[in-house]
Amino acid sequence: MTTGSIYSSSAASSNILEVNHLSVEYAAASGTVYALSDVSISLARGQILGLAGESGSGKTTLGYAITRLLREPAVITGGQVLYYPSDATQPVDVLQLTPSQLRAFRWSKLSIVFQSAMNALNPVLRLSTQIDDVLRAHEPQMSAQQRRERAHELLRLVGIAPDRINSYPHELSGGMRQRSIIAIALALSPEIIIMDEPTTALDVVVQREILTEIVRLREKLNFSVIFITHDLSLLLELADKIAIMYAGRVVETATCRELQRQPRHPYSYGMLHSFPTLRGPRHRMTGIPGSPPDLRDIPPGCAFHPRCPLAYESCSTIMPTLRRSAEETPDQLVSCHLYDVALSSERVPTNADFATSYEAAYAQSTFRRR
Amino acid sequence: MRQARHAGESDNAHMNTDYLNADAMTQAASSTKPSDEMAYTPPTGQPVLETIHLRKYFPLRQFKITGPRSVVHAVEDANLALYPGRALALVGESGSGKSTIARMLARLYEPTSGSINFAGQPVRLGSGAGLHAYRRQVQMIFQDPFSSLNPIHSVRYHLSRPLRLYGHVHSRREETQQILALLDRVSLSPAEQFIQKYPHQLSGGQRQRIAIAQALAVRPKVVLADEPVSMLDVSIRLDVLNLLLRLKEEEQLALLFITHDIASARYFAEDTMVMYAGQTMEGGPSDEVILAPKHPYTQLLISAAPDPDRIESENAGMPELSARGEIPSLINPPSGCRFHPRCPHAMPICRERFPGRTALGGGHWTHCFLYGEGNTSDSAHDAVATASAHTSPSSPPAPTILPNQ
Repeated sequence: MTTGSIYSSSAASSNILEVNHLSVEYAAASGTVYALSDVSISLARGQILGLAGESGSGKTTLGYAITRLLREPAVITGGQVLYYPSDATQPVDVLQLTPSQLRAFRWSKLSIVFQSAMNALNPVLRLSTQIDDVLRAHEPQMSAQQRRERAHELLRLVGIAPDRINSYPHELSGGMRQRSIIAIALALSPEIIIMDEPTTALDVVVQREILTEIVRLREKLNFSVIFITHDLSLLLELADKIAIMYAGRVVETATCRELQRQPRHPYSYGMLHSFPTLRGPRHRMTGIPGSPPDLRDIPPGCAFHPRCPLAYESCSTIMPTLRRSAEETPDQLVSCHLYDVALSSERVPTNADFATSYEAAYAQSTFRRR
Repeated sequence: MRQARHAGESDNAHMNTDYLNADAMTQAASSTKPSDEMAYTPPTGQPVLETIHLRKYFPLRQFKITGPRSVVHAVEDANLALYPGRALALVGESGSGKSTIARMLARLYEPTSGSINFAGQPVRLGSGAGLHAYRRQVQMIFQDPFSSLNPIHSVRYHLSRPLRLYGHVHSRREETQQILALLDRVSLSPAEQFIQKYPHQLSGGQRQRIAIAQALAVRPKVVLADEPVSMLDVSIRLDVLNLLLRLKEEEQLALLFITHDIASARYFAEDTMVMYAGQTMEGGPSDEVILAPKHPYTQLLISAAPDPDRIESENAGMPELSARGEIPSLINPPSGCRFHPRCPHAMPICRERFPGRTALGGGHWTHCFLYGEGNTSDSAHDAVATASAHTSPSSPPAPTILPNQ
């Protein structure tokens, strides 16, 4: 298990989940939406992998595709989702499981905490019923007494007093509802939990409590997490490794520290510098010009090139692939032509280069205003 | 013509605007270095909009006629002042009463007690002409641009309504001209294309720009922005914030900026006020309040906020929170200081009454017994003068949860 934010390359051999070249399309009336194109990520045992991106970048679709929760009109058009069970050497392709295998796989191996989990509880059922429901469906051999004990244990685990078990969801605060959802996700001790924006609707203090709880539980129960959020500053504190998504593709994967010290993709740099900081000098921030593309009509080449201040001719014609960005950071992969020696003769850009080019783009956009 | 003057102003200004000078008056002399730091200058002159002892209770429906009357104590004793060319950030969690204050200032809610002064004159309203005249000066931008625009009307319609209602245009030609100028001011170009679009054809950021243009069309002195960027995509937020900042400087708008994100309060506003459960906790220059928070609640908020710089420091990992729990019910709020049930420093007196305002120097103030009794009768603008006479902000207790600095 990796600890803290230090991700070593040796952990790559102990992956629990690998997504290879996954593509998802939505057949919409107004045209095909390319929600995911050729996405590859890996999750190491005991790791927290952060998926960051704006709305429409495909991060939720990726979470749903891994759990095979996508419904029509979404179609998985290619790729593999490999799960490596701890007791077997052969990986299992989740996309090939039969319905009954899938039913056994979900929840006991992999569970998901949904977006707006505040509303994911059934309002007319007591908490006890909702936890019991999972256990009854998946562990038919358990007696009612055992199930009740397990439910109490789960609530204690997430920091809810077990005497609240007979409450209805409306009797619980937002933070407690979120904790209950996590308790239910943990019911069958899964090895992987996908958390889709689990704290977005919560206030900042409660959000911090939940995050602390997730980190504590992860250390105690040693599960792996895919944490989906748009809040990159939060991920930098929480995750071991981060994958940044843009327009249905992963544009950069790196450990938190690598990403914070030297983001490689211009979009990653722009995202990192889109959040005002709590400390340090206050200075003007530029943000990223333009807005995310329509996924029915993704720009050719690198999808980010119309907004990229460092784009050159090749960016609009040749599709970049994930590659090693620099010798000193072998695990930091980036999908950008700036790091392709065949296409770009210039030296590898630094933070200062990013800053000046974004400044220039910003100045130009305000100039064009008149 | 007024519109022409606006365009002219912006023309001269755009070379050196967009730099976040605290005082827009000095912006002409500002350097063009990108990392130009923002310096704080205290507000001068008369506030354009001011509230004094503003309260709002919402009565609840009563089921028993003989039963006790219950009300939601949404806002208690709020004193704040907005100055031209400056922004005040109102920070707090949901249920802290920050939106209620904005809605009272926009006259969407009637205050239960207290007064609102516009340019030194108490606002007397009622309805009709008085309200119309007030709204000519005070406009609001709402949080959700997906529901604040009418889906069946075009951009032209949305912008022509305020122009016509407030008598700024008298012909179709004039209207078109001014709408194009407005779209240009909110950086929607080419304006000729946007004018005929419908909300569903616009992205979130573009919609919020239309909402901003709608507020600007009235030519107000005060703009109340209620979480103007929280519904937008991350990469768009900064763009819209920078637009509001530019307008604040170019047009000398007084801005009220409501947010739950304390980091963006520091970026956006010269002054910050922190609220909890309807009570004001702490306020003053944003840098003072956020870099050196005094009230235990402000300290809690800041220690809970995401801060990537933290992982660079020695004690990496999750920070310990000093208090748990959530905002209490405002129907039966805790007595005294409403933060006392969660406060790690709570004393018996905190339960009995709410402390007055204690000035900490430099315009920074707090309502907390840790720093003194305060003066219970001061109002926003004379707080510094009166409170410092009553209390000595000496030897504040060592805050246990001050973020590492």
